[in-house]
Amino acid sequence: MIGLEHISLQRGSFSLNDISLDVKSGRYYFLMGPSGAGKTLILEVIAGLQVPGSGRVLLNGSDITRALPEERNIGFVYQDYSLFPHYTVSKNVAFGIQMQGKSASDKDKKVHGLLEQFGIAHLADRFPRTLSGGEKQRVALARALAIDPSVLLLDEPFAALDPVAREECMQGLRDLHRDQGITILQVSHSRDEVYSLADEVALIDNGSIVQTGRPTDVFSHPKTRRAAVIAGTENIFEGVVGTTTGGMSSIEVPGVSITADGTFPPGSRVVVCIRAGDITIQKNGQVADCQENIIEGTVVSQIITDYTCTLTVRGPLQMSVTIPRKTKEQPVFQNGDSVRLSFSRAHVLVLPS
Amino acid sequence: MPKTPLNMKKGSIDRSIIGFWLIGGLLVLFIVLAILSIAVPELKNPGHFAGVITDPSVLLTLGITMAAGLNAVVILILFGTPLAYALSRSTFPGKGLVESIIDLPLILPHTVAGLMVYLLFMSQGIIGAPLGNVGIVFEDAYPGIVVAMVFVAIPYYVNTVREGFETVPVRLENVARTLGASRFRAFWHIVLPLSTRHISYGALLAWGRAIGEFAAVIMIAYFPMVISTLIYYRFATGGLSEAMSVALVMIILCGVIFVLFRLLLKKKGDVDDRA
Repeated sequence: MIGLEHISLQRGSFSLNDISLDVKSGRYYFLMGPSGAGKTLILEVIAGLQVPGSGRVLLNGSDITRALPEERNIGFVYQDYSLFPHYTVSKNVAFGIQMQGKSASDKDKKVHGLLEQFGIAHLADRFPRTLSGGEKQRVALARALAIDPSVLLLDEPFAALDPVAREECMQGLRDLHRDQGITILQVSHSRDEVYSLADEVALIDNGSIVQTGRPTDVFSHPKTRRAAVIAGTENIFEGVVGTTTGGMSSIEVPGVSITADGTFPPGSRVVVCIRAGDITIQKNGQVADCQENIIEGTVVSQIITDYTCTLTVRGPLQMSVTIPRKTKEQPVFQNGDSVRLSFSRAHVLVLPS
Repeated sequence: MPKTPLNMKKGSIDRSIIGFWLIGGLLVLFIVLAILSIAVPELKNPGHFAGVITDPSVLLTLGITMAAGLNAVVILILFGTPLAYALSRSTFPGKGLVESIIDLPLILPHTVAGLMVYLLFMSQGIIGAPLGNVGIVFEDAYPGIVVAMVFVAIPYYVNTVREGFETVPVRLENVARTLGASRFRAFWHIVLPLSTRHISYGALLAWGRAIGEFAAVIMIAYFPMVISTLIYYRFATGGLSEAMSVALVMIILCGVIFVLFRLLLKKKGDVDDRA
């Protein structure tokens, strides 16, 4: 469907380096990475808004690297939605159809259908400045879909939305993808969005692709330290492999020894990754859930959300632990509490340093 | 965007800004005094003033000035708008040089500008000669006035309009292009409508600059007279009072046009929420 082959592009001091991607038809593909990683630039290369210095852009097998944006039939929704401020909602949605030169009756019919589909028919005569973030997003999506694009590019479409609107819009996109089978390539910072929507994800950092794959694979098994950071792994430590016996290794991290599955060359430098959600926490004196790795420390801070509580525990290492919030079984922790952290060696990911 | 702080009623005075007004207001006072110095003596003798504003030669000169200014603006819109857009959307080595060339008429003495225009458009000039062969004469002719006006007004129009184009986010054009619009159609449907305020203001500035030009115009076309030439002529031949009457006519006319224009622009800006 959409293919990028060894795309390189220099823009000022920033560059895209040897970007290759293969987005199959009907897939919901995510580009995830920190700000300034080059995600939007990749979308703009696909849309024809940036011409790469080298490499090829393929659409359904055809080389479109030099095709003009207006020749590609690729829908694009920017983070700020970029609605035309001097047009009403219906004129915004009609713009692409108008550019295609369709008859007025075809245009009206299509616009009406899209306004109904996105639940914005009542906004038809409103100007963008009077719309909420969620409404703007729906208008932008309707406008992009009006040209029946072969692929839809979304540049952080939820970034400007409040949590309620964000949930609604995610559901809307999920339905759209399921019902119409449209190929979507979306840029995001958010692991939640990737988990909720993506068939595949590519982690981008500093103009390069770090790792691609299914979200669960990429997030559970990042292949490099950088991939682990982008994937949001909370606990990452440098260490040195100590002893290796019986399919297990002992990793010496400053102040503590961590046991992990797998055998690694003794003395080699490695990176140890442990997800905050894979760690259990008890108050000191209680028996730890898992005896394979136990670290003692003191709770120094907590971040509480609707359903979870993420505690920072300082001991020989500073670690983050995420636990469900306010269940009957879950004790309440206070800052200053002495606690014991435990985790299975199966949850310790060891990466080359 | 609110033009006053949110906690202030429109029309109420923010005392913290009074100091700025006291200092800056001196400039407004300067202009008002200059206008009054002409208006008061003239309006003390309304009969004389009425005679001047109904003088056919004054009316003809006014007509020529306004028409030439308008022609200059039309030419600037046709050629200056594409130039302003290209500048707003391009980066290339030597862009600063091009911008400096465009700005040159701003800083040149007007007589130098007039000399340059004269050399180009005189009957032996590299533009004037071939056009003279097809019957378009610039020396002491209406086209000469227009080209002199165009020359001195170029930076006023191009810079103002370019600034307007630069305030239109490139992303709007990008989206338009992904929706099937060519570069020109994206410009026509998106950039141009969103820049009408700057285009109008650029045209107004250019027009004001054009109709006020004296030195550059008389170098190539003393006749037919424009209003600034007539004022100078009356001053030289009839004294201060003759010049002041014509000057007051010009002040009133320009003032009315500027006020009307600003009112129109204010209404136009209501749609564009970036403004």
